[in-house]
This record gives sequence, C-alpha cells and structure tokens, in this order.
Amino acid sequence: MEIYQIYSLTSAILFVIGLGGVFAARHFIKKIIATIIMGGGVFLCFVSFAQRDALTFADPVPHALVITGIVVAVASAAFALALARRIYQLTGEESFTNDK
Amino acid sequence: MSILIDILLAILGVYLAMQSLLASRLSQSVFLFFAFGLALALAWVRLGAVDVAITEAAIAAGFLGVLFLDALRDFSPRDTEEQQNLTTVQNSLSRKESKSLLLPRLALVLGLGLFLLIALEAVWKIPEGGGLTAAAETLLPESGVEHPVTAVLLNFRAYDTWLEIGVILLGLLAVFAVGGIQIYRKPIAAADDPLMRQVILFFTPVLFLFGAFLLYIGKSGPGGAFQAGVLWGAIGILLHFGGIPVYSWVPRWLGHLLLTLGLVFFLLLGFLFMAAGDNLFEYPPAYAGLLILIVETLAAISIAAALTAIFANLNQMKKEQPNDTAQK
Repeated sequence: MEIYQIYSLTSAILFVIGLGGVFAARHFIKKIIATIIMGGGVFLCFVSFAQRDALTFADPVPHALVITGIVVAVASAAFALALARRIYQLTGEESFTNDK
Repeated sequence: MSILIDILLAILGVYLAMQSLLASRLSQSVFLFFAFGLALALAWVRLGAVDVAITEAAIAAGFLGVLFLDALRDFSPRDTEEQQNLTTVQNSLSRKESKSLLLPRLALVLGLGLFLLIALEAVWKIPEGGGLTAAAETLLPESGVEHPVTAVLLNFRAYDTWLEIGVILLGLLAVFAVGGIQIYRKPIAAADDPLMRQVILFFTPVLFLFGAFLLYIGKSGPGGAFQAGVLWGAIGILLHFGGIPVYSWVPRWLGHLLLTLGLVFFLLLGFLFMAAGDNLFEYPPAYAGLLILIVETLAAISIAAALTAIFANLNQMKKEQPNDTAQK
C-alpha cells in the first residue's frame, strides 16, 4: 500500500466525519469545527495526489492551492465565529433554533 | 515500516476529528481540534508538503485555535441554574423530534462516504505522471526563486495569491461589520499583567526574527509570506494580551495603510508590468527574485495586521455583552 493511498482514504473519512458533524452537531462552535475538518479532508486529498505525481519534487500547484485554501478557510471560520458570538450576544442562543 | 507511521497517523487524525466532534464539553472539543490540526500538520510533512505543514500548524491550528479559545469565554457554561434547566428541558423536548431526522442524515452521510471511497479508488487508476510537476520544473529557473511552491504562489499563480490576501481583508471587514461599528471605534482596553509583559519582552524579538527568517528562506525552501505573516500576527496578539493593544495605539490611518499595503502594492506591480506589455502579474525574469521578496514582505505585514485586527475585534466582542443584556 502506497502512502498516497492511505492518506487519500483518510481524506474521504475525514470529509464524511466533518459532514456528519455539520448535520449532527448542535452548538455553533462544533458546527464550525466540523466544517474545518471537512476542509481538512479535501486538502488531504489534494496533497496526497500531489505526492503521487512527484518527479524531483511533489506537484507544487496543489500545494499552493492548499495553502491558499487553508487561509481562506480560516478567514471564513473567523467570520462564522464572529456571527456565532454576535447571535449569542443578542439572543442567548447557542445553536440554531429551527433545529428544534 | 514507514507505512506503519502513516497508518498510525491516519488513525490518530480520524480519531481526533471524531472525538473533537463527540466531546461533551466545548473546551474538550476545542483542545482536541488543536491536536487534530497538529496531527494533520504531521501528515503534510509525511506527504512532503512542508509549506502546507507550517501553514496548517500556524494558521489552522494556532490562530484559529486561539480564536476558538477566545470564543469559549463567551459560550462556556456560566448560565444561571434557571437557564440551564430551561435548556435541558428544551433539549429533551427537541431530542424526540430530531431523532427521526438524524437517521436519514446519517444514512446520507454514510452513503456519500461510500461513494467517495469508490470515487477515490477510480482516481488511483489514473496513470501517474500527470499534473503540472513537469511544467513547473521546466519554468522554475525563470521564476526568480528556487522553491517550486513559492514560485507557484507568487509567480505562476500570483493572481490566486493576490485574491487570497484580499479574502483575508474581506474576512476582517466582515468581522468588523458583524461586531458593529461601536466596537471598531471604541479604544481597546486589554488586561494589564506584569508577568505577561516580561513574556512579551522575551518572545517578541524571537517571533519577529523567526518570521523574517521564514520570509527570506521562502526563496529556496519551505516558508514564505503566509507563514511569516502569521508569526508576525502572533506578536500583535501577544501585545494585545499584555495590555498594549496595537489597534488603539497605532493611529487609524497607519492601521489602514498596514492592512491594505500588501494588496495594493501587489496589484500596482501587476498593472505596472501589464502597462509595459506583459500579462497581469508577469514579472521580468531578471528582477523577479527581488520583486517577489518585496511583495512577500509587504503581504506578510498586511496579513499580520489583518490577523491581529480580526483577533482584537473578536476579543473585544465579549465586553459588549453586559450592556446588551442590560438593555434587553
């Protein structure tokens, strides 16, 4: 079994865990963490195939895309966190009320 | 033998991800998320993506972890007993209804997982040697840097990187917008702690130097603007904790200048060479190395400023709370 095979399988599992978390988690912070885990799964898939296509170095384009992606994911998570805290301040809710 | 490490690392990553979502306490959840980020960083190293590993450890685990920890102060259980009783009643009421929804959701997720695994198995069969490695390898001498990832980030795909700096700025504006203009305008007062001051005096030069090292080494090895930007942003966050909130201290015009410097200079440079007849973000190979270093430095400053501002603004949100509840 090759390294890229292990990590690409892991990436699918992480994506599924994250997706399950987005559906099942109630608290805002857990939902945000779940989306980050989903993103981590996607990035892992990218980089594991970059490692497979390595010549003298691994494919740098997926690496650059993943660095960009991580930063964008963090920026959006910060925004989500700001929204969650604002909702909590204004209403005292810690999860979406339409889940009830 | 080395496969064993990868298998263990994969199991660890999956376990930490599951535990961080299943943990009963929010603080457990956040700390397990920290650990998950670091395990993922190890996985990047195993896959030969050291740049990604540094970014993951610094931004996704470090910076985001700090934001989550800061948010815990808001959400951590300090409700009165009355409210707690209310929420348990609400939960027990909602459990009954949500259980019927949970099963189809889980089935959907598992089905998607199965589909993904089959899809991956199909991708494995695509013959190797595709991708853009060969193209990057032949063009590397013209890019002005020796490290392929930096060449892609700041030369071949500079447009993406420019937009990325814009996205950070956009995230900051969104956080400002959510927090309300009052928080933005209010002078920030952080806690004053003598021990913290000494820690800051010790760590600030180290962080600055290490950031500058990562910035410069990005030319020939793993490192670069984003990693350096986060380290410099950590200085801002440390100063904020130590009672020297940079954002009320620095004049507002200077703050705005620092925030937009990287984005504006990057764009001006792109258009400058466009006017000279090249494409957008195409540098002349003779000066490419120097121009990339300047762009990276300014981008790192802007990223550091934006991350500090995001943290300061989120950190400040909590202090509004007593007023809000009093008004209600």
